[in-house]
Amino acid sequence: MLEPKKHYDVLVIGGGIAGQETALNLANLGYKIALVEKDYSIGGKMILLSKVFPTLDCAACITTPKVSETARHPNIDVFTYSQVEDIFKQERGFRFTLRQKPRYVTEDCTGCQLCEQVCPVVVEDEYQYGLIGRKAIFIPHSIANPRIAAIDIEHCTLCGLCENVCPPKSIDFTQQERVDEIYATAVVLATGYKLFDPTIIKRYGYGKYKNVVTAMQMERQLVPTRPFNNILRPSDGKVPDNIAYVLCTGSRDVTLGNPICSQVCCMYSTKQAQLLMGALPMADVTLYYINIRAFGKGFCEFYQQARSMGVGYVKGKVGRIFEKEDGNLILRYEDIETGEVAEAEHDLVVLSIGILPNKDYQNLFKNVRVEHDPYNYVRQVDELTSPARTSVDGVFVAGTASGPMDIPDTILSAGAASSETASYLRKVYKEIQPSLS
Amino acid sequence: MNRTVDIIKKQRKATEAAKEKLKEFNRMKKAITNALREGPATIPQIAGKINEPTDKVLYYLMTMYKFGMVEVDSIDDMDEYYLYRLKKQENKQ
Repeated sequence: MLEPKKHYDVLVIGGGIAGQETALNLANLGYKIALVEKDYSIGGKMILLSKVFPTLDCAACITTPKVSETARHPNIDVFTYSQVEDIFKQERGFRFTLRQKPRYVTEDCTGCQLCEQVCPVVVEDEYQYGLIGRKAIFIPHSIANPRIAAIDIEHCTLCGLCENVCPPKSIDFTQQERVDEIYATAVVLATGYKLFDPTIIKRYGYGKYKNVVTAMQMERQLVPTRPFNNILRPSDGKVPDNIAYVLCTGSRDVTLGNPICSQVCCMYSTKQAQLLMGALPMADVTLYYINIRAFGKGFCEFYQQARSMGVGYVKGKVGRIFEKEDGNLILRYEDIETGEVAEAEHDLVVLSIGILPNKDYQNLFKNVRVEHDPYNYVRQVDELTSPARTSVDGVFVAGTASGPMDIPDTILSAGAASSETASYLRKVYKEIQPSLS
Repeated sequence: MNRTVDIIKKQRKATEAAKEKLKEFNRMKKAITNALREGPATIPQIAGKINEPTDKVLYYLMTMYKFGMVEVDSIDDMDEYYLYRLKKQENKQ
């Protein structure tokens, strides 16, 4: 476990692309950064994606150089599998508690995965969204950073086989949680978003019908380190040939408490449809949508490209999904163009789940309140002229913590957060020591 | 050799969930391995032989695929289902 410094210039909470970009920009200016990530690896959700829209560039190829740069930067201390708790605003800066949880494997781990081979316990792999299993000791995913194994102690039988085979002797079951009290002059909230849980919409049958999957599960099937040997439907391993996407699952729905658009689902579904047509040339892909929102640079052309490739677009709101005996699914939907109720059969249904606020930041601060907007995202108090400012002086927001946005907008937002934080730090340090220019 | 696992064993026991997962994987691995000893098979064929749901067979078979215990043999005539076989070292056992 990393021994933290007593004081940092900036505490960045969240190691996704917004947190990394903010940390890198500030670290390059010479500021000392504590980057705290709750997961085993930095990289956020982007590191798990296949390609990005509308360029179809490989997501891992874009994000892993940034991940490595962040991990190796001399001015950034990265704390993974760690939590920030109890932030108190002081006269100048913030005091907070950093809790580093034990992964029972030391930094000596070389990532050789011999331990995975001998571990006898199989648990659902959260990084493959439950499509296959992982071992109780595991490297989170193939491009994880740090590439250090972790032991899921709740599912460990304490057999010790991993310790027997580990070449660098990096297994340490005596590892304890470490708690430190630390100070930082400024805080950046880059806590990201949560994905909508589709089990809430019972009429879509997610969790009950095996061939109803989320877009994130399909995304994992499209990456080179996919869970299966090809794209398969989870009920029986059949290669699907008639795939449906249900857009706006969990977004733009007042009854679910999320009336806003998630901004990315139309385009990621269009992207996946194009990738599927490449991977399964015989397959039909149909998107059921309310409106297609192709608002960004190159998005409309990307959408038109999908249509010309043969992706079907049906303007229809799916009301209910039924399962047939053979695992195929019947979608009952309202055809918005005709006003009629219609039905269609598909052998795999992908729910284009939306983005929800990650409300974890709301309990972090103990003596001040970071205000939220009507949708529970961090409120930007001056969105037009100072988009990273929050209701607390010295606390800034970056990326999807302030609302749904795509990858380029997240990077832009992180750029704004880092420049506003740098300007704040200059002002504070000048007050303390006026000779600083 | 002093093992740290012996120290933690004095402080905590393996959870019931861990023991359950271990048992289930061993049972499924054995059943799938036995089914594939008869030759390459699709997931529905394996499920039929071992009397388990196809989705469960897929989950464990693909986990075995990930850890190098099985490999893809071919695809059926309808291009619908892959056939899987044991990897060679498994065959020898």
